[in-house]
Amino acid sequence: MLRRWLPWIVLAVLVVGALAYSAWPRSGDESVAAHTRRIASDLRCIDCESLSVADSATSSARATRADIAVRIRHGESDAEIRQVYVDRYGESVLLKPSSNGLGILVWALPIAALLIGAGGIVLALRRWQRQPRLVASTADEELVAEERARS
Amino acid sequence: MRAALGILGIALGVGASAVGVLLLALGIARKDVELVRAGRRCVFVVLAAAVIAVGAMEWALLTHDFSIKYVADNNARSTPVLFTITGLWAALEGSILLWVLILAGYIAFTARRFRSRLEDPMVAWALLVALSVALFFFVFMAVAANPFKLVDGTAPIDGRGPNPLLQNHPLMAFHPPMLYLGYVGFTIPFAFAVAALITGRFGEGWLADTRRTTLVAWGFLTVGIILGAWWSYEVLGWGGYWGWDPVENASLLPWLTGTAFIHSVIVQERRGMLRVWNLSLVLATFCLTILGTFLTRSGVVNSVHAFTQSSIGPWLLTFLGVVVVICLALIAWRADKLHAPGRIDSPVSREAAFLANNLLFTGLAFVVLLGTVFPLVAEAVRGNQLSVGEPYFARMTTPIGLGLLFLMAVAPALPWRAASGDVLRRRLLVPAYSGAVVMLVTLVFLTRTLATVLAFGLATFAIVAIFRETTLAVRSRRTADHAGWLKAFTGTVRGNPRRYGGFLVHIGVVCIAVALASAGSFGARQEVRLRRGDSVVVSGYKVKYVGTRTERSAQKTSVSADLALSKGGKSLGTYAPAVSTFPNSNSAIGTPSVRTGLLEDVYLTIVSSPNATGRITVGIAVNSMTLWIWLGGGLMALGTIVAIGPTVRRRLQVRAGAPQPPVPTEPVPEGAGV
Repeated sequence: MLRRWLPWIVLAVLVVGALAYSAWPRSGDESVAAHTRRIASDLRCIDCESLSVADSATSSARATRADIAVRIRHGESDAEIRQVYVDRYGESVLLKPSSNGLGILVWALPIAALLIGAGGIVLALRRWQRQPRLVASTADEELVAEERARS
Repeated sequence: MRAALGILGIALGVGASAVGVLLLALGIARKDVELVRAGRRCVFVVLAAAVIAVGAMEWALLTHDFSIKYVADNNARSTPVLFTITGLWAALEGSILLWVLILAGYIAFTARRFRSRLEDPMVAWALLVALSVALFFFVFMAVAANPFKLVDGTAPIDGRGPNPLLQNHPLMAFHPPMLYLGYVGFTIPFAFAVAALITGRFGEGWLADTRRTTLVAWGFLTVGIILGAWWSYEVLGWGGYWGWDPVENASLLPWLTGTAFIHSVIVQERRGMLRVWNLSLVLATFCLTILGTFLTRSGVVNSVHAFTQSSIGPWLLTFLGVVVVICLALIAWRADKLHAPGRIDSPVSREAAFLANNLLFTGLAFVVLLGTVFPLVAEAVRGNQLSVGEPYFARMTTPIGLGLLFLMAVAPALPWRAASGDVLRRRLLVPAYSGAVVMLVTLVFLTRTLATVLAFGLATFAIVAIFRETTLAVRSRRTADHAGWLKAFTGTVRGNPRRYGGFLVHIGVVCIAVALASAGSFGARQEVRLRRGDSVVVSGYKVKYVGTRTERSAQKTSVSADLALSKGGKSLGTYAPAVSTFPNSNSAIGTPSVRTGLLEDVYLTIVSSPNATGRITVGIAVNSMTLWIWLGGGLMALGTIVAIGPTVRRRLQVRAGAPQPPVPTEPVPEGAGV
């Protein structure tokens, strides 16, 4: 029994180990540029259509990026920096709706839908398992043989 | 004259589709094949009407007939011929003309293909439904979106010309027609699905009847989406190819449900299950194409309040509402009869994998739909504005995408009904270990980003599994037929084109997945100010600013910067990103210059034109593996073509003394399932 499962167990250990290593918190500080980019990519560029501050080349986006970098150097937290822009331009500046208020729906609904769907499939599978398997009767077999002979 | 001809075409289209619908309805009601035959003939009149209307519009565009408002708005004397022709799809009214032409083409093709089955009520109903859709669009054009409306007063001397973004790249000639060929093509399976519900014959017949059309539509939609991404990459200049913009999402939505459908039909064909589900997917796909058109064409995306400014929004929304209600009513009406016999025996089986596939694809569609319409709903309900953008979609779609990649690796190797431990080990162990090894290598040498590591591993898993399945099938055919490798390979593919075409599509998907994953982890981007003669090095590439050139034409004025690119002392040539201004627009349009490479693109843009001191700001981005997205798209198209091809059955060779092919011990021999 163990020998049959051994290759899968080894594989699982390998994969889980690799994932754990990959998800392990990184040492070393994030560079200001990377940090700026991370915050900027969550903010909507004010004067373009559906691009983030990080991706846009408009002058307002460049000014915003410079401002974020300055704020990071001054030691403001991510939440504080975001709040500055929410206060200035309103909630719609965030490309990722915050998870309080109405915004929670956009996060929760898909997860709920996927869970319900998965639950439905599991229930259906279990119902099918309980059903007796259909067995072909001799009459069925004869019908099939007849069709086969004809074609 | 041209306007009159165009209006005549539209009027003829309205008349012919109305008469066709009427004749078909009467023919079905009285069981009169002659009436159905007459109704079928109307289809070709509708096609002629669409050709006349489109021809009139192209004629008007090419002769710059600015007395027609659409031409005056979307064409100018200085517009190059190519973009004059593509002016047909530069704005809503013309796009609907193209839509109608393609729809009429699809219906005519269907009418021709089923000409010998007119006494079959399923075919008559399908034609009736498709013609009703055509009728809607013709009436829509005649009343709400008339492309041949004349300008008020005298015709202007020159037109405004198309939107600058639409006259900047030749891809504009291919992307919209491809997309529409995909979008509109789903009308045919929709028509047959409705016909199946009405006639009560929701077995496998309608699936077989529409299998090829569905694949064709899906293939075109795939190519259309990829070309759209490519256009975005080559024209918009922000360095990316997919911005989760509502317009892009609108094209992705029917693709997602359509993809779910072409997978789940296999379960119905094989096991007779999932009937309601498949019907619902086809109906949903069609509804999503209408919803997409509504979202992108009514102006509702910019603001909920914009959409009542024209009558287009209400028209499309009403049509969508009617279609949804009819679909739901039909399914509810037939619900008791739709219940299919059959069961899924084991969670580790091909059919269970298809169920999971469908769950994830519809989940993905739900995420994209919700993210797209949520800001509208929030604004309409609560009055506050919210944005849902790239960070949200990336967070939500990455896990689902990885799940789909996993299924793509595992599912083609799973047998139908149930898999034993032995079968799993034999078929999956080597591919799975290959994936794990690649994961480890990626972790150690390349990146620690979780999604990228997983994507690379799963991509390897999928490729090795496909390779293994194919090699085994080819090898067994080689021994059975005493053929060479090449002959055995073509024989294998032609014996089951759906399976191997599907594999090719999967390889394309793997290319795209790997490209997306590496774009998320590798590459660099920087904005630098340069004086003439200055150079800068960005991740190994040296960029030297040589100088600027200005080119003036009637169409546009472009300032381009010559940037000499080199790597490790070796010159890679001079690239010239540009900024153009068009007479009809205030904003300058940047055009990137891309050095395409197998593993890395260098993407150069002008961020701000040279100022008085001669300094220029250029954007330099090194994008990882972008080429593989376009290659993957090509493979997906190729795979679709293979899958559409005819199945060539092997002639049984019963020769004395010939070695018998090995008798498979599993329920389904390898290479036999789809």
